[in-house]
Amino acid sequence: MTKHMKKIGNFSRRQVLVGSAAGAGLVIGYSILPQAVDSASKAIAAGNWDHQQYLTMDADGKAYVYVTKCEIGQHVGTALAQAVAEELEINWEDVNVIYPDSHAKWGLMITGGSWSVNWTFDRNSRIGASARIALIETGAKMLGASPNNCYAKNSSVISNDGRSVSYKDILSKNTIDRTFSEEEMKAIKLKSFGEYSIVGQSKLPFDLPGKIDGSAKYGSDVFVPNMVYGIPVPNPVRWGAIPQSVDESEAKKIDGYVGAYVEKNGFARINTGYVVAFGETIWAAMNAAKALKIKWDLGENKNVSSEDIRNESVRLQEDPSSGFLWVLEGDTEEAMNNASTKHSAVYETSIAYHGCHEPMNCTAYEKDGIWHLHGGNQWQSMAQPTAAAALGVEADKVVCHQYLAGTGFGRRTEPDNFVLAAQCSKHLGGRPVKLMFTREQDMQFDFHRTPTYQVVEGGVEFGRMIAMNHDVVAGWSTKRAAPGFMPDSVDKKGKVDQFSTNGSDHWYDIPNHKVRSINNELSDKALPVGFLRAVAPSWTFWAVESFIDEMAKKAGEDPLAFRIAHLTANGKNAGSPPNSVGGANRLKNALLVAAGRAGYGVKPLGANEGMGIACVSSQERGSPTWTACVAEVKVDPNSGDLTVKKVTVAMDVGTAVNPEGVKKQIEGSTLHGISLALYEDMTMRNGSIEQTNYDTWTPMRLDQAPEVETIIIQNGHYPAGTGEPATTVVAPAIANAIENAIGARVRSIPMTPEKIKSALREA
Amino acid sequence: MTVLTVNGVNQVVDAPGDTRLLWVIREHLRLTGTKFGCGLGLCGACTVHLNGEAVRSCQVEIADAEGAMITTIEGLNGGQGGHPVQQAWLELQVPQCGYCQSGQMMNAAAFLAANPSPSDSEIIEAQQGNICRCITYNRIKTAIRRASDIMQGA
Repeated sequence: MTKHMKKIGNFSRRQVLVGSAAGAGLVIGYSILPQAVDSASKAIAAGNWDHQQYLTMDADGKAYVYVTKCEIGQHVGTALAQAVAEELEINWEDVNVIYPDSHAKWGLMITGGSWSVNWTFDRNSRIGASARIALIETGAKMLGASPNNCYAKNSSVISNDGRSVSYKDILSKNTIDRTFSEEEMKAIKLKSFGEYSIVGQSKLPFDLPGKIDGSAKYGSDVFVPNMVYGIPVPNPVRWGAIPQSVDESEAKKIDGYVGAYVEKNGFARINTGYVVAFGETIWAAMNAAKALKIKWDLGENKNVSSEDIRNESVRLQEDPSSGFLWVLEGDTEEAMNNASTKHSAVYETSIAYHGCHEPMNCTAYEKDGIWHLHGGNQWQSMAQPTAAAALGVEADKVVCHQYLAGTGFGRRTEPDNFVLAAQCSKHLGGRPVKLMFTREQDMQFDFHRTPTYQVVEGGVEFGRMIAMNHDVVAGWSTKRAAPGFMPDSVDKKGKVDQFSTNGSDHWYDIPNHKVRSINNELSDKALPVGFLRAVAPSWTFWAVESFIDEMAKKAGEDPLAFRIAHLTANGKNAGSPPNSVGGANRLKNALLVAAGRAGYGVKPLGANEGMGIACVSSQERGSPTWTACVAEVKVDPNSGDLTVKKVTVAMDVGTAVNPEGVKKQIEGSTLHGISLALYEDMTMRNGSIEQTNYDTWTPMRLDQAPEVETIIIQNGHYPAGTGEPATTVVAPAIANAIENAIGARVRSIPMTPEKIKSALREA
Repeated sequence: MTVLTVNGVNQVVDAPGDTRLLWVIREHLRLTGTKFGCGLGLCGACTVHLNGEAVRSCQVEIADAEGAMITTIEGLNGGQGGHPVQQAWLELQVPQCGYCQSGQMMNAAAFLAANPSPSDSEIIEAQQGNICRCITYNRIKTAIRRASDIMQGA
């Protein structure tokens, strides 16, 4: 997947231009220049340099780093700017970030998968370096020195004999015209780990001060003259309902009621049909949304429940003809016959909700033939063309303007709110509409995390697993959202949704290994699923890491020693540069660090207390972040109440670009993982999500947050993503800890007191 | 017409009396530091001060707020910023997405004004109603302790 998506941003045959008009700063970016225009400065002078401009500098020597990502709480712009600044040799105080509008020239604009730093660090480093080289060349001329006898430091070019000229002087007095071929760009020698002065520093995030004084601007803080407010009326079922008629008589009595947009044909990326109430004020729109009397055709999913989706998963898993193979190594059937110790178990996860604290919103309007869509968005490359299709205009007639987002967790990769806002504005003749979801709307009309049903079977001989069969049944998010990204299955029977299956292709050496990926189409139909933080690894590692623990115990082995015995880094598990270099050895190391720090198997524990361990390579085999966790719990066997006392997480991130930022991501994702594992239950009844607000859907509160100890392992390897992996490792660590505390195995998320008591009865 | 005193300024608001204070603060007066999270007083994102007391502005009708001193995040510390809570929040880099943090800080500021050196369990009880979806709770707890120290000149 990573490989596939990267192709879209392939810059081969492009040059990097570093150029300026006289005394007017500097522009640095990728471009394919027309033959006639052979220089960067000429292109700038002609005003038609339509390139990917990743860095500009003004005549004062200030740098502006372009970040095509969404700030959803991870402070991504700061880390990406640090990569540029490190090689640019600029004072950090001279650096700023800009979040550009959507445009095809930027290639793939997506924020997800813990890809941002991982995909961009090398490019941004080289962009910074190319600008530095051009500045040194020009500065050297000013100093009457050879560039070879000059270097850059602290926003200045300095000659070996100690004379210097500032970037400000260079940029305000010269025209710079420099082109780097792709080969030249590749040949630039970048600094290595240990030589950094800005990378590796916990720079204060650019977006932080505004989040303290209240000045930070989110999508919901957009105001446009003459705008109206749009409040969607929640459909009575999640998917399939169509409004038949709308009685506005009560709504019309509301002061400020503007009207309603009634869509009976629906739009594939939004819903089958919908109604939005408009008001001159948000209060009028909210009251109108309640006052509209709508007759609905409830559609084919009106009776679907969580149980129905689960029953369909069970049926599919029992059918040997279901699904497609994701992993096929050796012969698991024969190996299972040869195994002296065998075990099998079923692992489940419930529906989960993104629960972005800032509900979905977008402000849309048309001006001079261009549709402007304002809001925080994680996948502009999807929102822009999808909105254009809904509006019936060319993609370049739609521009997405980026804002801070009150969390994303993958929810803002969906284009629905942007498309709906655009449709609302079109309905009102291009008048600006600020579309706001209520919490109730946001909870019902999420693109939820699929409920999952997994069966794992394994066999051990002489202390080693010789076979593992793993069936993963889930709704398929990629099939709905981006089917073109689905790879072929290994048995070539069809396509597999890798975002439903990633993680099951783990790094343990098990010679006979089979993973079957099965699509639950009832789930797809009644509950269109999306991408929730970490996506598949949140359920595949739940199964793998619970099972490995169970298998070890059944074979009479220590769960930690058993894991280590299978992390041999042989063959395909040796890894490869840059992302997975070191392979399973790095996972083993993280495991040892977490175990050692937490005192796994050593620390004295009280009655009904236990420690559990787990390790993951989330997100994908192509971009693993080696993560291990020890959870310490206490269980009340009478009530089933669970207290997570402490969690220790060790993460090998290769290089931490902004260590405090990494630490915050680990802390937050660890606790998010616990919230999902214990508290965030969600169910469907009559085709509708039963929970409606924070009273019935109950994420973690402050008193439920255990201490999180983070250990960031750095070894100079390429920076890995840090926003998601810890989300996936805590649930199995907790389940393993519960078993060690009270001897009961919980195999269903969320692990509620009821489920813990039920597991105790079966123990 | 309703007259509201927000951050020390009298504002004449043309809105029905049952309009929730949150929407007038955000959408009429455009003091957008105060956020909408749930609309039912369950999450605390909309917390402001009414006569110094922390309230959920999504539950307050503007007719009931007339005559009261209303303070939002923009008016904390007399509008100067740098309230001890804000100092502590910055020092500890508490916010991630930041969306809930105005409400968190307003809640903590009112709490500390009434209880300048609270125990850990009092902090937890006081801040229990404020949801953070980035789950920065541990830093919030530490920051409240730190703000308490700052207020006492430590």
